[in-house]
Amino acid sequence: MTALKMLLRDWRGGELGVLFAALVIAVTIVSGISAFTTRLQNSLEQESHRFLAADRVVSSSSAVSDSWGEYALSQGLQVANTLSFPSMVYAGDEDMVLASVKAVSDNYPLRGELLRSDQPFAAPQAIAHGPAAGTVWIDSRLFALLDIDVGAQLTIGEADFSVTAAIRSEPDQGSSFLGFGPRVLMNYTDIPATEVVQVGSRVEYRLLLAGDAGALETTVEWLEPRLENGERLLDVASSQQSIGSALQRAEQFLLLAGSLGVVLAAVAIALGARRFSERHYDYVAIMKSLGATSGRIARLYGSSLLILGAAATLLGSLLGWSMQSLFFVLFGDALPVTPASSGPRPYLMGMFTALVCLASFAWPPLRRLGKISPLRVLRRDMPGMAQRTVQDYLVGLGAIILLMLWYSRDVNLTLAVLAGLACSALVAAGAATLLLRGGRLAGMRAGSIWRLALAGLQRRGAANTLQVVIFSMAIMLLLILVLVRTSLIEEWQTQLPEGTPNHFLINISPEQVNPVREALNRKAVLSQPLYPMVRGRVTHINGEALGRSDDPEEGRRERETNLTWSDAVPPNNEIIAGSWWDADSAQPLVSLEEGIADSMKIKVGDTVTYTVGARELSVTVASIRRLDWGSMQPNFFMVFPPAVLQGYPATFMTSFYLGGEEKQFLNQFIREFPTVTVIEMDVVVQQVRAIVSQVSAAIELVLGVILLAGALVLIAGVQASVDARLLESAILRALGAPRKLILGSLVIEFGVLGLFAGSLATLAAELSVYILQTQALDMSYQPSPLLWFLGPLVGITLIGGLGVWNCRRVISSPPLTVLREL
Amino acid sequence: MIKTENLLKRVEVAGGQLEILKGIDLEIKASESVAIVGASGSGKSTLLGLMAGLDEATDGKVWIDGVDLQQLDEDERALLRAEKVGFVFQSFQLLPSLTALENVMLPLELAGHSDAESRAAGFLARVELGERVTHYPSQLSGGEQQRVAIARAFAAEPVILFADEPTGNLDTETGAHIIDLLFEINREQGTTLVLVTHESRLADRCDRRVRLHAGALVEAQA
Ligand SMILES: Nc1ncnc2c1ncn2[C@@H]1O[C@H](COP(=O)(O)OP(=O)(O)O)[C@@H](O)[C@H]1O
Ligand SMILES: [Mg+2]
Repeated sequence: MTALKMLLRDWRGGELGVLFAALVIAVTIVSGISAFTTRLQNSLEQESHRFLAADRVVSSSSAVSDSWGEYALSQGLQVANTLSFPSMVYAGDEDMVLASVKAVSDNYPLRGELLRSDQPFAAPQAIAHGPAAGTVWIDSRLFALLDIDVGAQLTIGEADFSVTAAIRSEPDQGSSFLGFGPRVLMNYTDIPATEVVQVGSRVEYRLLLAGDAGALETTVEWLEPRLENGERLLDVASSQQSIGSALQRAEQFLLLAGSLGVVLAAVAIALGARRFSERHYDYVAIMKSLGATSGRIARLYGSSLLILGAAATLLGSLLGWSMQSLFFVLFGDALPVTPASSGPRPYLMGMFTALVCLASFAWPPLRRLGKISPLRVLRRDMPGMAQRTVQDYLVGLGAIILLMLWYSRDVNLTLAVLAGLACSALVAAGAATLLLRGGRLAGMRAGSIWRLALAGLQRRGAANTLQVVIFSMAIMLLLILVLVRTSLIEEWQTQLPEGTPNHFLINISPEQVNPVREALNRKAVLSQPLYPMVRGRVTHINGEALGRSDDPEEGRRERETNLTWSDAVPPNNEIIAGSWWDADSAQPLVSLEEGIADSMKIKVGDTVTYTVGARELSVTVASIRRLDWGSMQPNFFMVFPPAVLQGYPATFMTSFYLGGEEKQFLNQFIREFPTVTVIEMDVVVQQVRAIVSQVSAAIELVLGVILLAGALVLIAGVQASVDARLLESAILRALGAPRKLILGSLVIEFGVLGLFAGSLATLAAELSVYILQTQALDMSYQPSPLLWFLGPLVGITLIGGLGVWNCRRVISSPPLTVLREL
Repeated sequence: MIKTENLLKRVEVAGGQLEILKGIDLEIKASESVAIVGASGSGKSTLLGLMAGLDEATDGKVWIDGVDLQQLDEDERALLRAEKVGFVFQSFQLLPSLTALENVMLPLELAGHSDAESRAAGFLARVELGERVTHYPSQLSGGEQQRVAIARAFAAEPVILFADEPTGNLDTETGAHIIDLLFEINREQGTTLVLVTHESRLADRCDRRVRLHAGALVEAQA
C-alpha cells in the first residue's frame, strides 16, 4: 500500500475533506494576502517616487554642473532637468500676471505623469512628457486671469510662446506650491531665448535621476561630497500622508486578518488530522497484525502528509495568486499606481506555512498511529491509543505564536490576539466544565426532547468542553475581524467624507476677507473659516543662531513657514504637551506641531526667535500639537495668540469643497479676485477616496476567505462528534425513539453549545478588539452593544445549523446499522 | 403475532442489483419461539431488520400484532418498537457513554415509564448484575455487556424479542449462560422470540426453526 494509493482511497471516502481544505485555505490566505500587500507596497514605493517625478533629485539655487548628469548617465540612470522661477507673463499689451514658470527637459517626468486638458478646467488627460519647444501649457486659472483661450500667444521675457493646453497637475508639484503664482510649463531648451534667468535670480534648478537601486546608490555616493551650499539631495517625499496612512492601516488589517486566518486554518487542520487518525485505527491495527512495523506505519502516514502538503501548497498558491490578481485586474485601473510584481516570496511563505501546520498540528495524532496495538483486531473495544498529550498542545501553541509573529511582524498585534484566544479558551473551558459537567443527571432522559438534549450535553461533557472552546475561539476571531473592519472603514469615511475640502485659497489680503467669504457663501460651497497667515522664518532657538546645513531634513527650518494666530485650539488638533493659552492672551507664546518641534529639538518652555518681514519676534513655546494629516484640512505648524501677530503683514487662506460639475465657478472667482491663488486638490482627494474604496473591497474579499476558514473550523469541530452521535441515534431509534425526538435534541444540544460559544466569543472579542485598537492599530475603541446580541445569535444559528446539517445522516438513514458491525 | 408475505429486499450494488431476500412468507404465532438459521450472508439479519421495521422492504408485507408495517412511516414504526419490541444484538450495542443502569433505563424512558430507574435496577439484579449498576460498558466483560443488553431488551416488557446471534461474540460457556437467561426471562414474560443463530444447539431450544439459503426459505420444521 503506497501513501498515494491510501490518500486517493481516503479522498474518495471523503475522509480527507476538512484536512485538505484547511491546508489549502491556510496556503491561500498566506500567499494571497502577502502577495497582495507586497505588490501594493512595491507599487506605493514607486508611487512615492512619482511625487518627486524621479527616484532622487538634486536641488540647487544655481545651475548644476553638466558633469553630474553625465556621470549619472554613465551609471545607466535616466536623467532630466527642470528649472523653476517666478516671472511676469504677458498676453497682448495690457494683461500680465506674476507666474511660476517651470522649464522641463524632454524626458521629464522620469516617474509619474503630467495631467493636462485641452481646455481650462476640462477633463484632464495623462501625458508622459512636457510641452514641445515653442509652446507652453498654462494653469487653468491663468486663462481667466489673462483673458485668453487655447492657441493665444504668451510672452515670457523676450520670447513668445503659443499656449497649447491647460496644465492640471505635475507629479512633483507637491513640494513647493505655496507662495507661487499660477503655473506656466515650458520646454527646457527655450530658456536662453527668454533671457529672464540671470545670475542671482531666485530660481531652483533640479537634476532628476531614476533607475535601478544599485546605480542610484553609486551615483548618490559620488554626488554627496560634491554638493555645495544651496544644493540638496531629495529623497522620497512623504507628502502623500493621506494615501500613506490609509494604506498602512489597510495593510495592518490584512496582516491581522491573515494571522487570524492562519490560526483558524491551523485549528481546522488539527481537528481534521485527529479525525483522520481516528478513522485509521482499525486499518493500522490490521496492517500491524499482518506484520507492518511501527516505523513502516510512520513512514506511510508521514509521506501521505507530505503529498497532501505539496498538493495543498500547489492549489493554495494558485488560489492565492488568482485572488490577488483578480483584485488587481478588477481595481488596478482605478488605483493611481501600477501594481508591481510580488516575486516568489509570498508563495514560499505559503509553502512554509503548510509545512509548519502539517508538522505541528497534523503530524502528532498521526505519529501515534504507529503505537496502536494490533490486539485491536481481536478486541475492537480496546482504547485506540494514548490521549493527546500536553506536549501536543505546547507544540501547537508554539507554532501558532511563531506563525503569527512571523507573518504579522507585529508583537502587539500578536499579543492582543493571543490574549483574546487565551481568555476565550480559559473562560470557555471553565464555564463549560461548570455548566456541562456539574451534577451529572442520571440516565438518557429519553422521555423528553429537552431532558434528552441536556443529559446529552452533560454526558459528552469533556468532548463538548473542547468543542465550546474551539467554537468560541473561531467565532471570536471572526467577530474581531468584522469589528475591526467596520471601525476601519467607518474611520476612513469620516476622515474623507463627501464634501471634504478639495480646493485651497491662499494669498487673500485682509481687505478681501469679507468679499471672498461673501463670494463663497453666494455659491453656497462648504468652506472652512478663513485663517490668517504671516510669513516668517525661525532664526534662533534659545538664543542660539541656526547655522546653514546641508542636511535636507534640517533645511526645512531655514525656509519660510506660515504662521497663524488663533484664540482656540484648531479643529482636529490634539495638545500632546504644555497647555493652550487663554483667549485674549497677549503673552509672547507659540504652539508648535509635533514633527517640526521634534526636528528642531524644541520643548515646551524653549524660546524661539523669528524674523517676520524685517522685524524680530521672540516667543516661548506654550504647547506642542499633533495634527491629523489625513484630514485634508488646512494645517499650521506654528500658531500664535492673535495679539502677538497683530501688526505684522498677513494674508488669509481657506479651503472649500467644489464638485466637478461646478468647476466653472473658479473662472468667475478668479476674475473677481485675480490676486488670490487657487490650489486644486480635487484630483488628489479623488485618488485617496478611490484608493480607500478599493482597499475596502480588498478587505471584504479577504474577510470572505477568512470566514471560510472559520466555517471550516466549525465544521471540523462538529464532525468530531458525528460518529459517536450516529451510533447513539441508531440505537435510540432501534429502541423506538421517534425522529423528531432525536432531531429536536440535536437542535437543542448544538443550539446550547452555540449560545455558549457565541456569548463567550463576544466577551473575548470585545477584549481583544479593545487591546488591538488601543495598542496595535492606534485607533479609538468603542464598545459595540450590537455585538452582545449578534454574537450569541451567530453562535446559535451557525453551530446549530452546521451541527444539525452534519448530523442529518443520523436521522435520514434507516436504523438498520445496529444490526451490522459498525 | 408476526406475519410476512412475499417479502422482498433488493439493494443497488456496483454491478447492478442484488436480491438479498427473494420473497419470504413466514408466520410466527404469539409466545412462539422461532430460530432463523442459515449460512453467513444468507440474509438472516436483513430479514430480522425488516420484521422489526428497522428498514423498508422493496416489496411484500410485514404485520406485527396485526399492524401492517408498510402503512406506517418511520416514526410510527419507532413508536411501535418502543411499545412492543425488544432487541439483543450480536455486538451488544450498548451506549458507551451510559452506565449499565442508564442503558437499561433507556427503553423504559422511551416508553414513558415514570419508575424507569427502579424497574431497570430490578432487571439488572435479575441478570445478576445488581452490583454493577454504575459501571460503564467499557468496564464490563463481553458476557456482562450482553447480560445488560438482555436486561435492556426485557425491561419494557416487549411482546416480541428479536435476537441477532446473541452469542456470536461470546465463548461457548458464557454463551450458554446468556442463552439460559434469555430463555428463562422469555418464558416468564411469555414473549414471542425471534432468534437468529447458526448454532443448532441454540436453535434446538426454540419451538420451531426456519432455514434461509441465499435469501429464500428452504425448509421449515416443527
Ligand atoms: N445495504 C447493503 N448493500 C449491499 N449488500 C448488502 C446490504 N445489506 C446486506 N447486504 C448483503 O446481503 C447479504 C445478506 O446479509 P445479512 O442479512 O447481513 O446476512 P446474515 O445476517 O445472514 O449473515 C450479504 O451478502 C450482505 O453482504
Ligand atoms: Mg447477520
